[in-house]
Amino acid sequence: MAIDRKRIIDAMSQVEVLGNDEGLIPVFGVFVQQLPANFWNGFAERLTRSVDPDSLEAAEWLLVNAAHECGYHTGYGIITSEEWKAVVEPMIENAPEDILHGAFAVFTAWGWAKSEVVELKPKKKMVVRAYDYYESDVVAYGISTKASAYMIRGVCGAFMDLAYGGDYDPTGKTGLRTFQCAQTKGIECGDEYGEFVVTPA
Amino acid sequence: MAVMKKTEIELDHRFDPRTCRHTMNGQVSVLHCHHYATLYTQLAEDCGMLDGRKLLTDVAEDAFREVLSSYYSTHGLDDVAQRIAIAEQYYAAAGLGKMRVLCAGPESCEVELLHSHVDAGWIKKWGKRDAPVNYITSGYIAGMLAAIWERPARSYSVVETAGIVAGAERSKFSAAAN
Repeated sequence: MAIDRKRIIDAMSQVEVLGNDEGLIPVFGVFVQQLPANFWNGFAERLTRSVDPDSLEAAEWLLVNAAHECGYHTGYGIITSEEWKAVVEPMIENAPEDILHGAFAVFTAWGWAKSEVVELKPKKKMVVRAYDYYESDVVAYGISTKASAYMIRGVCGAFMDLAYGGDYDPTGKTGLRTFQCAQTKGIECGDEYGEFVVTPA
Repeated sequence: MAVMKKTEIELDHRFDPRTCRHTMNGQVSVLHCHHYATLYTQLAEDCGMLDGRKLLTDVAEDAFREVLSSYYSTHGLDDVAQRIAIAEQYYAAAGLGKMRVLCAGPESCEVELLHSHVDAGWIKKWGKRDAPVNYITSGYIAGMLAAIWERPARSYSVVETAGIVAGAERSKFSAAAN
């Protein structure tokens, strides 16, 4: 693998993102915002802890889906951006697998999760480990019986969609949700790291 | 003639290479796109399991009240105009849009958005619609007022009276003390 994670993280973590004169941040083909992590965690945790147990799976799906769509569109914007072309593209020898490794280095650099691909069977399976992620902050004491990394689950699925789900579809009607992701370990659950297994939907 | 000193927000953005987390003024912050914000907004609306709109607004109020209260305290800002200027600038720096507070007192407030992340994102993703969409901003305003007047959370109710997403030139909000 030619992907130099450290170099990507060093370069991409320094990208300055602040609102323009309109208070908007139009980059990578989308508008982005930079909000406190506890805002996102607060909504997800209060929602999933408040619903009837029979509705928990549906609520979790909605949270994962939001990240899945976000990861699909923003992910495409990232891997076609000038920053990507300058930093990551020269390292790519074996596409799309190297692209996936590079994408998780960017994912790490932007503070979503300190994560990497630890197993990859093209078109069939990807296992990602996250050693530090803001979604685990929902637990400050003890261990949770509920895994909480909905954002990582969604983005992992989205990145596999981009790698193996066919041409990018800006409408999201095709190509999106061809893969699904399960969280099998979580720091919030007392594990050393979060683990995410992506398989065809 | 009096010279008004313009208040400029100080943003201390850091990246910790050990944890790979970003912080803004000491708080963990994260970048997300308009798909994420609009889908959370849609989720809040469509969530039949509980009052998702109130949940999203309350969470935003709590998060931004903390951000602004901390900033005012750290920088020793007591002046209302300065506090409002910082709230407007933080909103813009975060990429939420361009906010203007038209008037504010302990009992009420009027705010308008000249540009809005969620309005623009919603239109880009799904097009226009009749009902306003700025639950996150409604929470931001409630949190801002609570921080400015040093009141607890849920001290203010905010109503969005016009929305860019619905064709208005500006999104408008009216707030009142509970």
